Amino acid sequence: MEVLLNTGRTVDQGVSMERGKTSQEYFEKVAVAFLHPEDAKELGVGEGQAVRLTTEFGSVVLRCSLGNTERGSVFVPMGPWANALTSALTEGTGMPSLKGLRAKIEAVPGGKPTTLEELLRSWRGRSGSA
Amino acid sequence: MVLRRGVVCPFCGCLCDDLEVEVEDGRIVSTKNACPVSRSKFLSHAEDRARPMVGGREVSVEEAIEEAARILREADFPLIYGLSSTESDAQRMAVRLAELTGASLDNTSSTCHGPTVLAAQECGAVKCTLGEVKNRADLIVFWGCNPAEAHIRHPIRYSITPAGMYRQGKKERFVVHVDVRETRTSKMVNQFVKVQMGRDYELLSALRAAVRGYEVKEAAGVPGEVIKGLAERMKGCRFGIIFFGMGLTMSRGKNLNIDAALRLVRDLNEHTKFLIMPMRGHFNVSGANEVLTWLTGYPFALNFSRGYPVYNPGEFSAVDLLSREECDAALILASDPAAHFPAAAVRHLASIPTVVIDPKVSLTSKLARVVIPSAIAGIECEGTAYRMDGVPLRLKRIVDSPYLPDREILERIIERVGG
Repeated sequence: MEVLLNTGRTVDQGVSMERGKTSQEYFEKVAVAFLHPEDAKELGVGEGQAVRLTTEFGSVVLRCSLGNTERGSVFVPMGPWANALTSALTEGTGMPSLKGLRAKIEAVPGGKPTTLEELLRSWRGRSGSA
Repeated sequence: MVLRRGVVCPFCGCLCDDLEVEVEDGRIVSTKNACPVSRSKFLSHAEDRARPMVGGREVSVEEAIEEAARILREADFPLIYGLSSTESDAQRMAVRLAELTGASLDNTSSTCHGPTVLAAQECGAVKCTLGEVKNRADLIVFWGCNPAEAHIRHPIRYSITPAGMYRQGKKERFVVHVDVRETRTSKMVNQFVKVQMGRDYELLSALRAAVRGYEVKEAAGVPGEVIKGLAERMKGCRFGIIFFGMGLTMSRGKNLNIDAALRLVRDLNEHTKFLIMPMRGHFNVSGANEVLTWLTGYPFALNFSRGYPVYNPGEFSAVDLLSREECDAALILASDPAAHFPAAAVRHLASIPTVVIDPKVSLTSKLARVVIPSAIAGIECEGTAYRMDGVPLRLKRIVDSPYLPDREILERIIERVGG
């Protein structure tokens, strides 16, 4: 299913970020894709099940949560999972494109959200540094 | 038990200055008047602290500082980035270090309200303080922002329900929320206007046309009569303000969206008093813009490699420098680009020698060659921060800390770099 990707702050993202970005709570509150219930139904996924979001810039598996968005769009809290999908193109402004990206969403039956360690590995991949 | 009153919160650009914090045996045990995020910041301040590291090995702070200085001395084109979650003396030191090392210097505004700065440099902005909003505003428009989740006490302290000098509570204010989706903020307002994603510029332009008396039809999914009604309400208020956020700065159009909003406000001042204010995120990102401007003439995205500051967003902004793989070293101060930059930029950050100065374990610290832990500004050390309306406030030291303040760490690096 084609969707528009929106990213931004939530209370849960802010509270869990202050507890620590390596905490389980941060993972649970930020590795989430908020879908409209009708879109989720069409995809065949329910609350807590895994979905894969893909843009031309990257792909991650997230936990589906119902509500809090419009039909045809997906909201992902700001953080490393959202930014695995966003564009570094700033069009001469310095500001990357973090909202309104075209994305594809699909169900991942039995899948698990991408972990922070997997993201860290993907960033280090090219150089093997750090 | 010690009760500290009038504590300024070092989380978001609201800088709420009415917090009460209880300290027992050197530990913060409770807060009053704090929002959930602020409470989490105060009560969790001792958790998940960074340790001084070089190359994944724990070292002394002095050793980490020495290695940081070596990296910056040897770099050809270093980047110094962040600055927004610390106090203004540390920001001043970061400018000095950038000048000494010929670095590019950018703060987090390039990925929040940098487009706002660009637009304001083109056409100006009609501004005021939050106190004026609280006391006088009878029309509040939130556009592309969600204060209920991001600036949680803004509605009760400044914009929707406070008892001001001339405006009392919600009944004497009309509040509008324009956004791509209904959020918790939408539930607090009198009118919600849903704009289609990426089409804010179109709606702002239609509003400008309506304010000038032109007939408008549907724009960005908003019916013509709604646009006309909002334009008339804006023209007819006594004191109106638009608060705007990332919904305008990060979506298609970026600085052009802000340009349209600033010009709408300018047009409205032919009819009434109307103002505009960005909802600044990090507690001292406004200060980063202020300090860089009064020291260099430019608010963000500048470079010192010629020996004097050159300003060019898109060239010297951090995401651009990193994603084009241009910088060969980085010092990250009081921010976490690995958590909040697009992956293409993060991958380069992981491939170059990076120094992180941060109180906590951050995702950037997981990728860094050098980690230097610091005291938390506003909790463990004092300093100055600028509120979202540009008003400077003094942050307090609430508890003692074994960690050095950011400004002292930077001073020590500067000494070793040769300043």
